[in-house]
Amino acid sequence: MPEVTIDWYIALSVILFTIGSLGVLLRRNAIIIFMSVEMMLNSANLAFVAFARYLGDLDGQVLVFFVITVAAAEVAVGLALIVAIFRTKKSINIDDMNLLKG
Amino acid sequence: MNAYGLAPLLLLFPAVGVLFNGLFGRRFVEADAKVGERWSGWFASLMAISSFVVAVLLFFTLQTNEFHPVVVPIMDWISIPAADFYVPWAIRVDTLSVTMMLVVTGVGSLIHIYAIGYMHGDPNFSRFFTYFSLFIFFMLILVSGSTYLVLFVGWEGVGLCSFLLISFWFDRKNAAGKAMNADAGRKAFIVNRVGDFGMVLAMFLMAWTFRSLEFDTVFETAVEMFKTNHIVQFGLFSAPISVVITAITALFLLGATGKSAQIPLYVWLPDAMAGPTPVSALIHAATMVTSGIYLIVRSNVLFEIARESGPVIFGVISTPDLVALIGASTGLLAGLIAFTQFDIKKVLAYSTVSQLGFMIAAAGMGAYVAAMFHLVAHAFFKALLFLGSGSVIHGMEHGHHHLLHDHSHAEDHEAVFDPQDMRTMGGLRHRMPVTFWTYLIGALALSGIPPLAGFWSKDEILAHANEHAQVVYVVLALAAVCTAFYMGRQLHLTFFGAPRHAAAEHAQESSRLMTVPLIALAALAAVGGLLNLPFLTTRMAEANHHHPAGVFVGLESWLEHSIAAFELTEAGTIHLPHTPIVLSPVVAGISTLLALVALGGAFYIYRNKPETAADPDPLQRIKPLWWFRILPLETFYMKFVVPPFKWLADWLAFAVDWNFWHDFVHNNIIRDMFVSFATFLADVFDKFGVDGTVNGIGSLTKGLAGAIRRTQTGFARTYALGVFLGAVALLVYFLWVLY
Repeated sequence: MPEVTIDWYIALSVILFTIGSLGVLLRRNAIIIFMSVEMMLNSANLAFVAFARYLGDLDGQVLVFFVITVAAAEVAVGLALIVAIFRTKKSINIDDMNLLKG
Repeated sequence: MNAYGLAPLLLLFPAVGVLFNGLFGRRFVEADAKVGERWSGWFASLMAISSFVVAVLLFFTLQTNEFHPVVVPIMDWISIPAADFYVPWAIRVDTLSVTMMLVVTGVGSLIHIYAIGYMHGDPNFSRFFTYFSLFIFFMLILVSGSTYLVLFVGWEGVGLCSFLLISFWFDRKNAAGKAMNADAGRKAFIVNRVGDFGMVLAMFLMAWTFRSLEFDTVFETAVEMFKTNHIVQFGLFSAPISVVITAITALFLLGATGKSAQIPLYVWLPDAMAGPTPVSALIHAATMVTSGIYLIVRSNVLFEIARESGPVIFGVISTPDLVALIGASTGLLAGLIAFTQFDIKKVLAYSTVSQLGFMIAAAGMGAYVAAMFHLVAHAFFKALLFLGSGSVIHGMEHGHHHLLHDHSHAEDHEAVFDPQDMRTMGGLRHRMPVTFWTYLIGALALSGIPPLAGFWSKDEILAHANEHAQVVYVVLALAAVCTAFYMGRQLHLTFFGAPRHAAAEHAQESSRLMTVPLIALAALAAVGGLLNLPFLTTRMAEANHHHPAGVFVGLESWLEHSIAAFELTEAGTIHLPHTPIVLSPVVAGISTLLALVALGGAFYIYRNKPETAADPDPLQRIKPLWWFRILPLETFYMKFVVPPFKWLADWLAFAVDWNFWHDFVHNNIIRDMFVSFATFLADVFDKFGVDGTVNGIGSLTKGLAGAIRRTQTGFARTYALGVFLGAVALLVYFLWVLY
């Protein structure tokens, strides 16, 4: 069984980030987009942790906690917004929320 | 005795007089007419007398200092070190200037006192004395200046005073409603401008040629240049010194014809009689009008050089000869015109022009001392005659005034009464005895009856003319005959016969203030000949040569110290002693005889005519004589000089100044240019430039915003794509561009 090197972690992080960003760009359901954003954050977390382990530095690992905290706060606010929007529009299709167009 | 240092006081006293009367005189007179007039008039007189005292002190100082001329500096006036040109203001004390100072202040003082009486009751009493003091001030500057420029300051100053005093009663109008007095003042001023133009040009020439305007320097340089046949450079062209000096002297002559009322510029003097009579006596007879003669006598060196230069003017005549000719012909012409005048003062005015002609002629012939002698003697008797005529006018006015209040004579007086018209006079010798006797002395002195002053002075001129210029002698002798005749006519019309007007019957002798100066001047006119008596001078001149410090023995030896008689030779200038005057019995006899005959003839012709004021003059039968009454030169000027001048002035005023300058240049060129420029600024620059920039920025912003607006779709995914692409771009940048 080959050794799991840093490359694998980075590759997984890139794949996750790619899936997440494609999800953000291609999907219309606000919940799905939210989940995709979470996925991108976590791919970044994975990269942080991988590099921290690789470089023997704890800074990256500490930063992950901050990211998780911010992501949790974001989810709380974001889901509240989605609920509020759903109550008025009866829809969470992101393309229906285009009132701020120029 | 040395009183040279007192010389500035000479000018200070009249200046104080001007300030006193100018600043406070009116207040004094308005507060209390009687006391005020006394203060105003006597203060001015006192200042004139003080100047006279200073002049007398200078006279004695000159005697004790061997007649040594001294220049007393007052201040540096003009100094241009770069051009080495300096004009100091200094008083020149020499025998010539002191002679003039004595005449100006002496006769001036007497006339001041007379004027207190004459101007009594005039609402502008103090203004009169302000001008009078100002006149004395400027006249003293004229005669005391040590440079031509200072002389010119006085020259212009007395011209100003002349103008102010001729038009003293500027609000008086004649029957036709014309302000004759103001017109006469303007005329005098304008005619004198022509002469002054000559003076100014002469000074430019002198300043350029001699680099100085100081008498001594100019004369010395002129002699030096003449000896070396100097060529004067005028930039592009050059001229020999003889031509330049001839030009200078000819321009002086022009100045003198203006100020001293000679042909062709004498026309102002008769009109100047519109001024108060003391003015006519002081300014237009005794002093100011003689400044032309003073100028020529002062510049005698230049005139003698011009004589040496020969006939330079058009190759025909030299300046001194021209001077003599102009003087002599003026003497005769004015004498003839005087025949036809009815105004008592106009006769005297033409007589003055005529006598000035004598002086100018004498100066032109080189008889400078004779000219000065006649100047002094003339100042005495002509001032006397004018003051006498003033007294007569006062008497006539008094008589007329008396009539107006006496209704029994109401039918006698006309609407306009001219107190100066000799036809309304007659028989005044009984009514005004003092005036009559003094007037008689003056008239006889003017006519040249021995032993009065006029005889000696006129005879000296005639004797000189007889010896050196026969033509001038004949003309002057004729002029002398005219003089005697018109004085006889005037005497008879005024004082003899029966009164021809009720006003003359009630005429009254003038006050003591007026008769005392008359008596004093009559005494001077009677004994004035002593100043230069031929016998006396011959004897005393010899004595004087042994005692250079000497005393005054006669104008000839006195003026010798400022009028240099010299001869120009190869070796240099040789100063010659003046030849003492010798009485020529033949010349004196002829002129006395002619004068007596003319006087007698006048008395005979006018013995019982005209009988009434309306009667024609007996001379009116001689028609050609009355052509002179229409004033040949005056008519010529009014016909041929004034209209073109007026046309030119009109053309300049209306065509050039108004139509071209204001309408065309101002309206069309300047205004229109401005307007079109402003229009350009408003319609083009502002509209398209300024507004265009501002609006352009606005619409650009708007358009840009409209374009950019389209990127804001409102779809979150579009923004997300943007962020994504941006991140990719950054990634590419970091990976490929930076590494």
